[in-house]
Amino acid sequence: MELDSIHSFLIHPGKHLEEPPEISGTAVAKAGGLYDMLRRVFDRAEEECPHDVAFSADSEGKQHNECRNAILAYLKKTDLPHGRALAKSLQAVTTNRSGLGLLFLMKGTHKGETKIVVSRFPADSGIFAQEMEKELTVEFLERIFMKNAASYKAAVYSGKSYEHDFWKGKAGDKQINSAESYIASYWIKDFLHSDFLTPGEEGTRRFASAVREAMNHSTDTKTKEEITAFCQLLPGLTGKVASAKGILDRFHVSDGTQQQIKSRFRRASLFEEGFQFVPDELAKFLAFTTVELSNGGLLTAATSNFDKVFTKETVDSSKEIVRFSTQGSIVDQRFKKVKT
Amino acid sequence: MTSLRDVYELRRAQMLLGLATRLEAHLHTVFDGCERIDRISVRAKSVDRFVAKAEKEIDGKRKYDDPLTQIQDQLGARIVTYYKSDVERLTTEVMKYFRHIESVQIVPDSESEFGYEGRHFILFIPRDIFDDEVKEDESITFFELQIKTLFQHAWSEAEHDLGYKPSTVLSRNQKRQLAFTAAQAWGADQVFDELYRQIDSAGAQQGIAPL
Repeated sequence: MELDSIHSFLIHPGKHLEEPPEISGTAVAKAGGLYDMLRRVFDRAEEECPHDVAFSADSEGKQHNECRNAILAYLKKTDLPHGRALAKSLQAVTTNRSGLGLLFLMKGTHKGETKIVVSRFPADSGIFAQEMEKELTVEFLERIFMKNAASYKAAVYSGKSYEHDFWKGKAGDKQINSAESYIASYWIKDFLHSDFLTPGEEGTRRFASAVREAMNHSTDTKTKEEITAFCQLLPGLTGKVASAKGILDRFHVSDGTQQQIKSRFRRASLFEEGFQFVPDELAKFLAFTTVELSNGGLLTAATSNFDKVFTKETVDSSKEIVRFSTQGSIVDQRFKKVKT
Repeated sequence: MTSLRDVYELRRAQMLLGLATRLEAHLHTVFDGCERIDRISVRAKSVDRFVAKAEKEIDGKRKYDDPLTQIQDQLGARIVTYYKSDVERLTTEVMKYFRHIESVQIVPDSESEFGYEGRHFILFIPRDIFDDEVKEDESITFFELQIKTLFQHAWSEAEHDLGYKPSTVLSRNQKRQLAFTAAQAWGADQVFDELYRQIDSAGAQQGIAPL
């Protein structure tokens, strides 16, 4: 796709300021080293932005989103004033902690389809070294804008109809898993007025359902033990953004078990879609763990507590004989009917 | 030249009917275990209704210049529940599991009017229902979800049947009769919800599980 125009704006922090600093902006020439670098950012935006996002409705629940409107206005009239409107929105949510940044707006068109990439490079400091014929000069620079820094952010939207399309896109925010949630939400929630296309509850529900299905349909003891083991650790992911694959990799779940869980997703791409982990949703699906022994014994306890309630010892590893033990007072006893 | 009717008819047969079945199954999965849901249904908009909507005019101008992309209820889902409190409860659940671009409570314009009521959402079609057979890239983006009480649902179905007959122009008295039935449905919802809250709250005080 042809990259038609690039505008750039210097964004000083302006959150809570009554008189935020003026925003300088410029059109970037379609030639030279900077253009070549931005061209790569534009072309690779879909790959560099792994998270599917969607613009949110306004506070009254109407189909109205300030950021989407500003983007559409810029697409319809691609010039500095319309780009500055977007830059002002970014400035209004930029804190001193987020710091100085350089905003790039890149627009391209191809066969009736329009694409826009919005990206922010953070400012950093560095040393400029210049080698002359017989000497080396070094200079400290304060406003270097780093594309590869950990806090580089971007979003990409494309579509044919301004009326109907441009509601969803992809976003990248290297700080998305930051423990400091205000930084993580700065780009997607505060500036883009967006959220993940798949809500956390839905992503967790989908993941938990696949894990439960894999557990209940597997006939392999080791797979079941592996699933039980990592499920104990899942509550530690509260609020983190990860894909099913990312979660399983994080807990070093074997390829075989990963494949069994992946096969329970309707399609492979959902296995790799990011979502914000919601432990309550997980608990709905994996509330209790039941172990059935070859002697007819059934042990059931809350999944999160199973290993604390029952102590497991290996009696004969060659025959996979184990002994479970527990103690407590009896609070209830029940009959259960046979499933038909 | 292919007409809008032909294009939509093809889309409906090739995409929407299949999506409707999948979406209904998905909604049943998501709301499995939610109490007091009378029914969940999903329909692909009929060809006649789509064409009629596409041809709507405002001040002599067509409301939609690209109806195939602008009309967002080509796929329409409905959840019918018992009480008004249930509509609120289900609204919270919808917000958890679906991403919306619209969520509005539709009520008559003035406090002295009675008519259509319901909670309407425009939601992104969940990615779970697509696969290699029905591709996400080739699909429409949104569907409409309505949540209504039994009385709201009953009234709107009958009103739609009576009030939208092609040859019918309702008299003033007939319009007042429809408004009267809407008021009765509204009143029934109010009383049932009040009863539900009283009985549920009394049960909670006595340690009885909620209704």
